[in-house]
Order: sequence, then structure tokens, then C-alpha cells
Amino acid sequence: MQHIINQVFEIENKIKETDKALFTRNFERLYHEFEQEGFMVINPLGQRYDERDVAIEANILNENGSDLKITKVLKPTIYKQEGTHRALVQKAVVIVE
Amino acid sequence: MENINFGIDLGTTNSGIGKFESGKVNIYKNPVGFREVLPSVVAYRNGRILVGDKARELTTMQPEHVFSSFKRKMGSEHNYFVSAINEHKTAIDFSVLVLKELLSFAGTPKPTAAVITIPASFGTVQSNATKTAGYQAGLEEVVLLQEPIAACLAYANTQNLSLDQEKKWLVYDFGGGTFDVALVRINHRELRVLDHEGNNFLGGLDIDNLMLEHLFCPVLEQKMGITNLWKQMVGADAPYYKLFVELLYKAEEAKKELSLKEEVFVELDRPDGFIEFSISRQAFNQLIKQKVEETIKLTKSLLAKNQIEDGAIERIVLVGGTTYIPYVRETLQQQFNTLVDSSIDPSTAIMVGASYYAGTKNRQPKEIKTESPTAAPAVPAQEIKLVYEVNSQDAEELVTGVLANNFSGYYRLTRTDGGFDTGLIAFHSKFNEFVKLVPKAINQFQLRVFDKYQQMVLEKNDISINHGLYNISGQPLPNDICLEIDDTIGTTYLERIFKKNDTLPLSKKIYKTASKTIMKGSGEQLVINVVEGLATASPASNVCIGYIEISSEELPTNLLKGTDIEINFKVSESRDLIIDIFISSIGLEINQVFNATSRQVSVRKIQAELENALQKIERDGPDLIDTDSMAQMLEELRITIIELLEELIHLEDDFITDKIYNLDERKIKLLQQVDSLLRNKELYVEIEEYQSLKAYIREHLLLKPDLKIDQVFQTAIKNEAQFLNSGQLSLIKAKIRDLHRLVREIYYQNDDSYIELFYQYAYIDADNYQDPNKLKVLIERGQTACTKKDYAEVKAIILQMYNLLKVKPEDSLKDQNGTLGLK
Repeated sequence: MQHIINQVFEIENKIKETDKALFTRNFERLYHEFEQEGFMVINPLGQRYDERDVAIEANILNENGSDLKITKVLKPTIYKQEGTHRALVQKAVVIVE
Repeated sequence: MENINFGIDLGTTNSGIGKFESGKVNIYKNPVGFREVLPSVVAYRNGRILVGDKARELTTMQPEHVFSSFKRKMGSEHNYFVSAINEHKTAIDFSVLVLKELLSFAGTPKPTAAVITIPASFGTVQSNATKTAGYQAGLEEVVLLQEPIAACLAYANTQNLSLDQEKKWLVYDFGGGTFDVALVRINHRELRVLDHEGNNFLGGLDIDNLMLEHLFCPVLEQKMGITNLWKQMVGADAPYYKLFVELLYKAEEAKKELSLKEEVFVELDRPDGFIEFSISRQAFNQLIKQKVEETIKLTKSLLAKNQIEDGAIERIVLVGGTTYIPYVRETLQQQFNTLVDSSIDPSTAIMVGASYYAGTKNRQPKEIKTESPTAAPAVPAQEIKLVYEVNSQDAEELVTGVLANNFSGYYRLTRTDGGFDTGLIAFHSKFNEFVKLVPKAINQFQLRVFDKYQQMVLEKNDISINHGLYNISGQPLPNDICLEIDDTIGTTYLERIFKKNDTLPLSKKIYKTASKTIMKGSGEQLVINVVEGLATASPASNVCIGYIEISSEELPTNLLKGTDIEINFKVSESRDLIIDIFISSIGLEINQVFNATSRQVSVRKIQAELENALQKIERDGPDLIDTDSMAQMLEELRITIIELLEELIHLEDDFITDKIYNLDERKIKLLQQVDSLLRNKELYVEIEEYQSLKAYIREHLLLKPDLKIDQVFQTAIKNEAQFLNSGQLSLIKAKIRDLHRLVREIYYQNDDSYIELFYQYAYIDADNYQDPNKLKVLIERGQTACTKKDYAEVKAIILQMYNLLKVKPEDSLKDQNGTLGLK
């Protein structure tokens, strides 16, 4: 399932900004289905870089290290809910600058 | 006597921990991030001490605060200056942090003894330094084991190989950053490293860089219309450094994929469009040829200096992630013409071997250790006062902790889903930390407090913060809110959308499908019925709070069975129910708001519900009641239903008064009484039937195993506890029907059953067949075939008789179309 989620995420990101509205419902539906299977997908794009956030694997470009933000997401964060317990199954792979 | 059981691979690049338990080795996953390996990297940032992935991540940004590969300096007098805390640290100090982190993976009780692996090249000083690090990390007993020996043990034990004859093995360890090869002699269950070779700067990362420079750059230069891309990515003030970082990740992914496929595609998202190109395994092999040859040369030189012929090597065991590459394995096979053993995961082989060894090693009585001058004095258990909001709507929430008696030490807060970790932070008496929350979920945190020697003095696992699930000022729902949907046996049941005590406002999107085809203009309708009450009760005994009938005339085109229907429910704080329906395939969108003053009820629906209840009482009542008093109560209910139905007939033209609402209320109360009288008993009867069918099939499978039937059976009984405890008759009945289908299939596996089926057809009145003369001939032939037990003939005759029937019999176990049109 993890690979399927990554593919969906890639497809979503390939769609041009201007065409995105056309597909919103379809992607909402897909992520809804993943959630039904217990997978929570989080796209951390635009978030401030936080060294405590171990759900992301950051590639940091900015050497001076101030006001860092996630500018590109290659893979999203995925959590899996098993009963009452939630566990991280994939770290997001991101670029920070 | 107790064994050590814990095995630790304290590597140059990555480390890990395993435990020998009940004859097997379990590799612990990092509770933060859930990986089996922990990068051997330590970093200092914003007053925190970070160990592992997060520390490594800071390498490019703040290299002066990040410390890695310190294993190479183990046992030397080299000092690292940590400017963040203005202190000098040694390789032992950093190793202690890595070891402590690994020991924390094992949970409680904490390991007090462990086997730690060391490279074959480590001398006495380096070995003792590793031991010291183990003691300073809190271990009472440390046993060292050479890495190549650990690898051999992992391979031998996992495959249960007999080691009673003298053999020589090569341990080929090609990791992320280093290459080592060791020659091991195995003699009567004794393993010894005879010699070793290695290169500390040859590993998987070199291959990734090679891919970038020689496979990616030429293609990209052409597609992007630039020159010298490699230099522009890695040189001083490199303008394409961002691209380098992204490509390095892509190269690693492509490298992994090339181990499985002959060709991979690399995609790159550039501002001016996508760039896509392919890399073949052949090109990749050509690229890494020289690096692999380098390892072969070192291996051959190892054999040569020990005067060992290639043929004297019984097998080569693989260690390190780079050995996943097929070309590496093939080259070893060609060059040494011996068994290349890749039967276990090479990235965890060392920890697996160390754990096997630990599983056989007895604990020694506690010794006094002189190597641990900084061993911590006993610190009394601490009490902490914690302050935080249990419910939050923010992305971060403040947690404050206060300890008594001027406590000084460290704290560490981690989220139990593995997505958040503060690292170790020094504090005095009080700390404040804004913790990150996963949206719309319960966030569970663990707090650990350590003294100044980093020995744990307090652990709290019950810090729970709900994000967005509860609106503090909102009111709780008094009852479940449910959607009525069709089942597959021709009735309906309730699916809970919001549960009792959920706090308003609420919203939820669900996806359903059309359970029947509704042709435009056919007079049929699609019914959305939302009720409030108890999800496990029958739909008609709940209060209808939202009702939409979409008639076939309103449909733009035919609605086909199986079409997706998206329904969005919202309940506001003032209890308005908003339903949005969207059927994408026919482009239909309906939005309707329901509130207490616009309650909608349908005469047709009330009538159907009353008729169903009446039918149920008459059909099932006699089987479900035990006492005379119950029988009398049921009869009274039956009469009241008939009276209500009569009133309903007179009401048909009344659109003005609120009589319909009155009737609906009475119907609800009446059906609730029917429900409470019959439902529990009915549930009990259905569960009994389910259990007896299940036992029958299970017994049959035991006597006559059948893979196909077993698979269907396992699917049918999956999540059994869930549907048996759901209180939903419909769900249990649907499962019973699934089991009945299986029983039928089992029945028809026996050829004699076709004789019985033939006579069933033979006894059907001849008027029901199209051609009585032909029927007569078929019956005569069938009787003869039955006597001769010619089953093929019997089956053929049954088929012909079936085809002769004017009206084909309905399959009683077939899925039924819905009445609402929604499932």
C-alpha cells in the first residue's frame, strides 16, 4: 500500500497548478480510501523546519540555518493506525531551504 | 543461569540492537522513526542532543555541530570540541550516547548486559575503549565480539548449518561508507578471524555519487542545455546544490530499484517541466565495475597473503547494504567460484550474529569496574508535576514539567507514533516544550527524565493530547447519527456516521455505491435516510432527521448499479444537518439542510416499514417467543401496527396537518417495542446458526482439506468478533448466507447429491416445463443413469431439465438488490 500511496502522491504533484481543481475530488477520495485502510498521509510542504520532527527526513540546503522551510516534498509522511495505536511507516523525504 | 541475550552492532555509519529470545533473534526498531538501524551520528542544536537520523540530517547545515564516524577515533586521544556546550568530547563519549539510544529501543526492563561487536582490526586499546563506552552507557557487563565472527554466526545459526568440520569462510562486508573483508576459520564449533583487509572510504555512498556524475549529469546537461553540471552541483558556491541533494536521493532509490529490475526510470520535476530518463542495469554495472574490482583485489590479496587458494573457501557470506547489488554477487561468484551466501538480510547480519552469541553467553557475577569513573551515583525516584491542555486545536501544544528539590538533569519527550522527538535537553527544575501534534488524532507522548549522568530517573507514558477531535465548548451528541443502507439480503441496516457523545460541530465524508440500477423515468428512487438513535437497532425504530428521495425523473441520465455516490454530512452546533450528495458519473449534485422545523417524513416509507414489521411478526414471531406473556405482547403490537396502517391510508391526501409526524412518532415507538421484544432473541438465534455452520465447514475442511474452500471460508469469518458483536442482524445474516453458499459447494462435491437434485427436478409439476414429452424421456433416462450411478449423465440431464423449465428457479443465496438504492 505504501508504494501505491507514493505513486498517487507523485501523480498529484505532477498535475499543473491550473488543472488541480479538476482532480481535487478524486484525490480527496483516494486519500479517504487510504484512511479507511488505516493509512494517514501528511504532506509537510511549507512547514517550518523543526529538528524535533522525526517524521521527516530533511535535506537541508541553507547553510546558515535560519528560518528554514520545507520547500519540496519527494515523499509524504505516512502513519498506519492499528487498533488504538498509530505508528510511523514512512518518513517524508523533503528539501529544506 | 541467565544469558546476556542482547547483541549490539556499534558501527561506523549505522548501529543496531537485537535480542535472542525463544531460539530466535528479534531486531529492535527505533521507537522514533521505526527503523532497524540508527545512524551513528550525534548533533547539538538549540540546546538539544540529537542522536541518529535527525543528527545526520544537520550534517550539511551545521557540520561543526555534527559528529560522525567517531568509531575510527576509538581508543585514540583525539578530542572533539563541541562549541554548543563549550566542552571537549571523545569518541567514547559519543559512543555512549549512541549506545544509550540503542538500549532505549529495548524498552523496560533495560538491558544490563550486552555483546558489542568490534571490527577485526581493533587492537586492545580500541577494544577496551568500546568496553568503557558500554559500561558508561549503563551496562553492567560487556562482552566484545569481532564483526566477521558475528556475521558467520548469523549465517550459520539462521540456516542451522553444521560447523563440525574445519572450513574457511570469507566475510565480505560492503557497507554504506566502508569495505572490509575477513577470512574466518571454522573449526569444531570454534570461529576465528585469521586475517582481514579493508578500505575505510569505499562504500555505497561512493556509488551514488558515481551514478550522479556519470549517468545522470550527461543526460541532464543535454536536456537542460548546460555544461559542467557536476561541477556546478558540488563545487564552491554551487548554484545547483539543491538539484544535487534531490538527485542524490533519486540515485539511491534508482540503485535499490536496479537490484530488482533491468531498467529504471528517473523523473525530475524542474520549473520548466518534467525530465524523464532511464538507466539500465547494464550501464549501472559498467559504472560500478571499477569499485567492485577494487574490493575483489583486496579480497584476493587477503587470500594470497594467507596462502589460500580460491577453492579452499567454502562460502562467502555477505554483510552490508551494498551487497544487495546483483552485480556484486555475480562478480564474487565468477571470481571465486564458490557459494555466495545471501540468505539473510545483510544490513542486520552483524546484530543478528551478536544476539545469537549473546543468547549462548552466561551472565557473569557482577564485577567491580574501574573503567567507569563517571558511573552515576544512585538518584532517588522523582515526582513531576505536568501541565498541558488535553484538547487542542493548534498545531503545537505547550507541555510544562516541574520537578521538586532543585533537580538538574535532562528531559526527552517523544510521540509514541514515532514522529516526534525532542532529543535530550538539559533543564533545571522546570521545562517548557511545545510538542507537535498530528492533526485530528489522539497524540500520545512519553516523557523521560534523566539525571546529570543521563541515568533515567522518571518515565511517564500517559501524556495524551487530542487534536481537533473535541471542541471544548461544543455539546455532545445525545444519540448515534446513522445512514440507512441496503444489505445484500434484501433488507436494510444502519451505518453509524457520528457516535453518541461526539462533540458538535461534526463533519464526515463517506463514499457509497448504488445498490441497484435506476433507469431515468422508471419511477424508482434513490433514498438517503439519516436517522438519530441507536446504530444497532432496526432503522425504522429510530428518528428520521434527514430524508432525501431522488426520483428517477430528477436523474440527468440512468444511474447504474455500482456507481459511486459521495455523501458529505455536517452537523452544526445548533444541530442543523447538512447533506451534500455528489454523483460524479452523472454529474448530479444535491445540497440540503435539515433542521427541527423542516423534518421530512415519507408516507410511503412509513407504510413500507410498518408492513415489514408486520410481516416479520407473522413470519418469525412464533419461533422467537418463549412465553405466553411475550406472545400476548406481540399480538397486541401486531394489532396496533394494523391500526396504524389503516390510519396511514386515510392520511394520504393530508398535506396540511402534522398528523404524519404524529404517525411517524407512534411508528418509531411501536417498532422500538417490537425491536426490544424480538431483537436479542433473534440475534442469539442468528449467532447460533452462524456458529453451527462454521463448525460444520471447519470439520469438513479438517477431514477433507480444500484450499479453495478454505480461502473463501477464512475471508468469510475474518473480523468475526467485529460483526458478531456489532449487534447488526443484517451483517450476521449476510455472513450466514456466505457460509450457506460454502455448505452448498461442499454438498455438491459429493456426486450422490446430484441424484437427489435430479429427483427434485423430476418431482416438479410437469406443467412447469415447456415440453412434457421431452421431460418424460429425460426423467426415464435420468432414472436409468441414477441406478447405474452414471453421474456425468445425471448432471447433463439436470441441465437439460433446467433449460426446459418455463420459469427458472431463483437462487435463494443470491445477492439481493437494495430497496433504497444505496449500499
